[in-house]
Amino acid sequence: LINQSSSSSFTADEEFDELCFEFGLELDEITSEKDIISKEKGEEKAKGASDVVLYKIDVPANRYDLLCLEGLVRGLQVFKERINVPRYEKIIPAEGEGQKLIITEQTVQIRPHAVAAVLRNITFTKERYESFIDLQEKLHQNICRKRALVAIGTHDLDTISGPFTYTAKAPSEIKFKPLNQSQEYTASQIMDLYRNDSHLRHYLSLIENKPRYPVIYDSNGVVLSMPPIINGDHTKISLNTRNVFIECTGTDITKAKIVLDIIVTMFSEYCEKPFTIEAAEVVYPNGKTHIYPELAYRKEKVKPEVINKKIGISETPSNLAKLLTRMCLKSHVIGNGNLLEVEIPPTRADVIHACDIIEDAAIAYGYNNIQMVIPKTYTIANQLPLNKLSELLRLDLAAAGFTEALTFALCSQEDIADKLGMDMSATNAVRIANPKTAEFQVARTTLLPGLLKTIAANRKMPLPLKLFEISDIVLKDPNTDVGARNYRHLCAIYYNKSPGFEIIHGLLDRIMQVLEVPPNEENGYTIKATEGSAFFPGRCAEVFAKGQSIGKLGVLHPDVITKFELTMPCSALEINIEPFV
Amino acid sequence: FTEMPTDNFVESSFWNFDALFQPQQHPARDQHDTFFLLDPAEAPQLPPGYSSKVKKVHSQGGYGSQGYRYDWKVEEARKNLLRTHTTSASARALFQLAQQEKFSPVKYFSIDRVFRNESLDATHLAEFHQVEGVVADRGLTLGHLMGTLKQFFTKLGISQLRFKPAYNPYTEPSMEVFSYHEGLKKWVEVGNSGVFRP
Repeated sequence: LINQSSSSSFTADEEFDELCFEFGLELDEITSEKDIISKEKGEEKAKGASDVVLYKIDVPANRYDLLCLEGLVRGLQVFKERINVPRYEKIIPAEGEGQKLIITEQTVQIRPHAVAAVLRNITFTKERYESFIDLQEKLHQNICRKRALVAIGTHDLDTISGPFTYTAKAPSEIKFKPLNQSQEYTASQIMDLYRNDSHLRHYLSLIENKPRYPVIYDSNGVVLSMPPIINGDHTKISLNTRNVFIECTGTDITKAKIVLDIIVTMFSEYCEKPFTIEAAEVVYPNGKTHIYPELAYRKEKVKPEVINKKIGISETPSNLAKLLTRMCLKSHVIGNGNLLEVEIPPTRADVIHACDIIEDAAIAYGYNNIQMVIPKTYTIANQLPLNKLSELLRLDLAAAGFTEALTFALCSQEDIADKLGMDMSATNAVRIANPKTAEFQVARTTLLPGLLKTIAANRKMPLPLKLFEISDIVLKDPNTDVGARNYRHLCAIYYNKSPGFEIIHGLLDRIMQVLEVPPNEENGYTIKATEGSAFFPGRCAEVFAKGQSIGKLGVLHPDVITKFELTMPCSALEINIEPFV
Repeated sequence: FTEMPTDNFVESSFWNFDALFQPQQHPARDQHDTFFLLDPAEAPQLPPGYSSKVKKVHSQGGYGSQGYRYDWKVEEARKNLLRTHTTSASARALFQLAQQEKFSPVKYFSIDRVFRNESLDATHLAEFHQVEGVVADRGLTLGHLMGTLKQFFTKLGISQLRFKPAYNPYTEPSMEVFSYHEGLKKWVEVGNSGVFRP
């Protein structure tokens, strides 16, 4: 989330950086329009561009009120106690004078929810106008989930007349001039028109294949918008617009209400009567009505001692009230002085629990002012047995002259199947649905490809190359609650001018020796000759221990070696070490 | 600190996201940040009593919270993925702790691999390791968290620390930990932390 602002109310860059840090914002970059163009297109193109300092600020994902310059500056100024928290007032017009938005039942199939409000006598400047549009776009990307959940439409109220109707019609029945176009189009034509538009084409699929598209009309049949695609040109807002009608439509009513609240609270600052918002009435298909925006002020009662205890400070209740008020959560002490009443404004939809209030108190106090203490918890330390065993084996394998490798757990399908002479269906592998590249198609079912690829990347190293890895592989398992599980494998390979089967075999013997597993069939380990698709015929054996087959060892088949772009003989050992935990 | 079992790269959205109060429409659950699985695509089992509690808190609230107030879908929670953080293992460990008859304070840790669907570049890998620590006890404060982090980083040789407010869906308050890097001559983020939401 990036917000560009030219912040003139604060002094030096350093001071602003410090303020952002304390407040919980990240000052990403200090740049200017000139710098940006310079970086993207070269210094030539940047000549003549603005030198005004721009701050790029990253805003936490749950703070919709800080997404525009207005909200950000407001929040910071309240934090610094330069202004008081503004009170947002809803003005309900006299009977018959307010705007109405009538929802018809056809919308239920597609995007059933709608809310609306009016900003009266607002004054736009170029910066305010751009900020207004910018906020809508950010909300669209963020809480509206790319318009899928909510779409915002803002209209010049003086170009239309209510009551407004939100309905859904067949695409051929909808015809209007879309924003910034010169002629009228039907809805189906509009779909085609924007199919290649870099900005709008992503939203077409939200309604394209439905039998009816949502559309909002005024009382004269003028189209306000066809959400979530585009507004009509007729109602477009200019710098001279004085009255704005805002509608938010979509599939999630909670988010629509939050979005509406954010837009009106942020920009009502520029109305003739600042921070006042004119309410509109929404009429539902069943005849019920509701006034929007809700602008709900919620009151939550919190005990000051709880706040102090959870943070680890000891402030007086009135100090805590002051701290919270600095965070736009107006508070005062009630009762016998042992209770705080906190008022949560409509701009802070992120405050849903007392712990959110506690965090804000801590931020206002200053995290770095809190005293650090060690918990008095007495516990006994423990290492997971499987990890302990892995660590011990790693030391012993290194002592045997092998070098540890750490490789990726994800690989391509060929790595675990074709290149090892196996069929994909026999691997029982876990497959990824959305890999970015072919290198991350499956989770590895064997450590061998990782080690072989490591050797291929290190051909310049002196021979023999002796590598090992003790790490997890993943296999499907219908008995687990998720359907797959990890197995801890040990894999070692020896790459040299001669295959070195005796070396790999010796390593296995050494591993069993340190695990104290005797070399006999009844209560120890044994190896039996077998065939393996990745191994040279007649040079492959299966390892049995603890009553089960735990892996294989042998000389690798020349096909395997070639497929991994290697040229010399190679022997390998791979076993599951979990039975030895 | 006792080591937690983390030997499952494959995790369900339930443990990775839902049980950690990350809403189902959150951008991080998108296709381009998380590796979702083709096979096995869905987790066959979710803990029955617990998953209905999680559903309630997301859709209606609970334990003092207003909740997110949206329709929580179990199909979304069943989607399998490669875990994006080891906090899913912590969630499982805390769930096990909650099944105990009598509560006993614990300190858990883990160091294991996590997966994020990113393009590889100089500072990003699709697979990397995370170190995770959890302390559960009565009367813990933000000050305790800061103290523990200070001790941990000091042992790694990092002692100049500052804490910054942050946001995680599952912790509140949350803090990012910054340390002064002598070589780069600036403050860099070295960790993330928080107090789990009630």
